[in-house]
Amino acid sequence: MATRKEYRIKLISKELLNADTCYLGFDCPEIASSCIPGQFVNISAGTMFLKRPFGIASVDREKGTFNIGVKVVGKGTEQIKDFEVGTEVDCLGPLGNGFDFEGCDNVILTGGGTGVFPINFAYETLTVIGKNVTVCEGFRDARQVILNKDGYILTTDAGDMGIKGTVIAGLDTLTIEDPAKTLVCCVGPIPMMKAVSAWAEEKGMKCLVSMEQRMACGAGICLCCTVKVKDDGPDGYKNVRCCKEGPVFDSREVAWS
Amino acid sequence: MSKLLNVNVGSVNLKSPIILASGTCNFGRELAEYYDLSILGGISSKGLTIKPRNGNPGVRVAECASGMLNSVGLQNPGVHYFIENDLDFMKESGAAVIVNVAGHSFEDYIDMVTTLDPHKDKIDALEINLSCPNVKAGCMTIGSDPEAIKAITSKLRRLTDLPLWIKLTPNVTDIKATALAAQAGGADAVVLINTLMGMRIDIRTRRPVLTNNTGGYSGPAVKPVAIRMVAECAQVLDIPIVGCGGIADYKDVIEFMIAGASAVEIGTACLVHPALPVDITADLEKYCEDNGIELKDLTGTLQRW
Repeated sequence: MATRKEYRIKLISKELLNADTCYLGFDCPEIASSCIPGQFVNISAGTMFLKRPFGIASVDREKGTFNIGVKVVGKGTEQIKDFEVGTEVDCLGPLGNGFDFEGCDNVILTGGGTGVFPINFAYETLTVIGKNVTVCEGFRDARQVILNKDGYILTTDAGDMGIKGTVIAGLDTLTIEDPAKTLVCCVGPIPMMKAVSAWAEEKGMKCLVSMEQRMACGAGICLCCTVKVKDDGPDGYKNVRCCKEGPVFDSREVAWS
Repeated sequence: MSKLLNVNVGSVNLKSPIILASGTCNFGRELAEYYDLSILGGISSKGLTIKPRNGNPGVRVAECASGMLNSVGLQNPGVHYFIENDLDFMKESGAAVIVNVAGHSFEDYIDMVTTLDPHKDKIDALEINLSCPNVKAGCMTIGSDPEAIKAITSKLRRLTDLPLWIKLTPNVTDIKATALAAQAGGADAVVLINTLMGMRIDIRTRRPVLTNNTGGYSGPAVKPVAIRMVAECAQVLDIPIVGCGGIADYKDVIEFMIAGASAVEIGTACLVHPALPVDITADLEKYCEDNGIELKDLTGTLQRW
């Protein structure tokens, strides 16, 4: 059954998490009732032509609301950050494939920068369905730390909060008892996802990564947001759509550059 | 659906003037999740080549004022895969099937048309892409030269009875010359316009935003350029024009038709609102009912000063 998947949604809450990052809550029962962790929404950005994609950070299915985190990186995100509560915007979603947690007992969630937003939604979901969850998050320094909860392993590059180093320094503190039943999920900058994938693969664990690319439609029709995956063809790789085949990929399929 | 929206592009009858523009709808499958494709006049496939193409690497999109630059670079699964996996889907969608044909040389285009012609029962028209700005050879290189346009069109004309729609580039000094060349070569229609070549630069890195350096500009910003080109060509052509460029609502469709278009293609606006053709179709029906007209009567009714 075809559905327009585009909604006029109202901003119902806004919280500043640090100097350039905010946490926005929207009212949209259609998206809140159907989205899964790792999926994203495309939200119109004021006067900008294209919508902007954001991983869903939290959902309240009873209230019919969801949250996203927005870090200002350009004109579009700047306008979204300045939205006042009550503003109505066009939103397309939920989009993308999301995380598949089937077949594992333990999940190690790893996030960096704005990647901690989709990780937060994954954490909320996994604790409800009763998986053993470990969270490890990495940031540049203490000022960047957001959405950090008790029990999370925290790392900072600067070492001014948590363990000094990258998320790998945090992950190395873990004892992996059953790698075959443990899934690693990672959302963050490419170098981080690449390192976490190598760490997981070396220990015999499956790793899912959420890729990011400049995106136009989010609906799989423009082929702008492609990601390289391994392929036997003449190029040795194949371009697939981050918004449609992804954003979540098995790390072993990604042709890292 | 109302008969008021019925239009003809030469011998091709369309139930509505709305065609999804090549490169903005893949082969229609994804958009079928959003609405019933049978409301459409047609779907123009993603630009196809003989062999599969991965397209351009890196960043492929850059936002611009009221539009965007893209440098996808004709990523497509190849015509053989298309025939096996997507052509039937397009045919069954209920919209007219327009197959967009791209290539790097005359031989490529000839190969493509020869490969597609045996499937003519499933195809309503071939849209010959002589205008993609994002590949190193073929397409726009051929499409900027009237002599080359005439030569390739007449070669393809001899290979198929399928309607040949030549999609032209706006990146020329005189669009009338290239449109007339297509007509002289035996084209059944011209499609005006493909994207305008552009560049954006990241002032921090001093590098182009697009990894391909340049890309094609599309979206509402280019509409006046497209309208002007349609109106200019309508004055000199005997074959129909399919208008394309920046359409975002039903009034834009009407504007194109008054300028001289028999049908239109909608693309970039659907990247922002995938179900936009549903609204435009409903608005056009209402417009025709309110004004007591059939949409096709608008074509070429421009009253110049």
